[in-house]
Amino acid sequence: MAAGASAISLPARARKREEEAELVRLAQSGEEAAFEELIRRHQQRVFGLVNGILRRREDVEDVVQQVFLKVFISIKRFDLRAAFSTWLYKITVNECWDYLRKKKVRPLVYETDLSEEQVSRLDGVVSAERPPESPARRAETKDLLEQLLDELPERDRELLVLKEVEGFSVQELAEMLELNVNTVKVRLFRVRARLMDVYHRRVDLHPDLSAAKGRSKTDGSKI
Amino acid sequence: MEARFNQGACPEFEALLEDHLTGELSGADAKKLAEHLESCAACSIALEQAAPSVELLRAVPATADPGPGFSRVVMARIREEMSKRGEQKSIWLPFVSLAWRFAATATLALAVLVTFDAVRHSQYGPQTNLNYETVSETRDLFPDPSSPPANRDEVLMMVADTDHGKH
Repeated sequence: MAAGASAISLPARARKREEEAELVRLAQSGEEAAFEELIRRHQQRVFGLVNGILRRREDVEDVVQQVFLKVFISIKRFDLRAAFSTWLYKITVNECWDYLRKKKVRPLVYETDLSEEQVSRLDGVVSAERPPESPARRAETKDLLEQLLDELPERDRELLVLKEVEGFSVQELAEMLELNVNTVKVRLFRVRARLMDVYHRRVDLHPDLSAAKGRSKTDGSKI
Repeated sequence: MEARFNQGACPEFEALLEDHLTGELSGADAKKLAEHLESCAACSIALEQAAPSVELLRAVPATADPGPGFSRVVMARIREEMSKRGEQKSIWLPFVSLAWRFAATATLALAVLVTFDAVRHSQYGPQTNLNYETVSETRDLFPDPSSPPANRDEVLMMVADTDHGKH
């Protein structure tokens, strides 16, 4: 999982923000090198954000470029009252939603059930007994998880992926989606339960694996 | 099939349960949740249900950095886009300029008309004007206002006496 913003200490964060504000001021005065530096600093997170919302769409890179173009055009209007990243992420989220609206993209839904082997692999991930070894295996497990995620409501899935996979903090999610922090936490907790419900429904189709899973149940929830 | 979906966690504890799952709960809140979980089976079940999701999602890798060349690609696209916009602007510039000139002339003409009308009205207000015309016509028809016509024949006679009948 990518490190969230919360992992950085307060003075370091303040220094980073001041540095960034200076870059923004330079970019506002037309300094292209400063804007390029802003891109370099944020490109990975913007990619993660777009990928987390659009998911496996070939237009991810195009949308990211479009986001930075919009930011370039409107950076003079940015008043530096909020963090640059918050403003950038809001533009990114809106661009993604616009893209989905324009393309009228429906969430991908897998009609077929997972095979016994696939369920076994996922079960290994949940019980942490058989972590995927090779990159190929990891990619396969990722695909299986994508199938599970695709069964979740779109907006809730976005939250879960952005938090757990792309490493955005609850605070960042609340700011970019204009939600209350508590609402984000509640929705995250509920969608986790939904995800596990989807997972169990798939596993329950394979009685042998269900029995084995029952025996090796994880106790990770104990305080 | 066993109904596993979480429907029973206490709403006021869901945010704390999420914090607990992600390891962000400590101090008084952690104590409060621990005490609650001892007495609330619904929240305990919900927590047990949601907990494996943390491990499950750890198997999905975060999006990789697009690399150092990406910012250069973006800057190239921005330059291209800005120059396109500049060209588009220059194509429309003569039309935009003409439209502005037309709008300015129209505004000036309107202002002159309104001023002229306002000055005219201030000299001859609509009421005064009407009265003047009415009085003038009455004088033409009835030169002697002290003896107005009594019947239709007298009116015809008076009209015949004035210039109106000759037009």
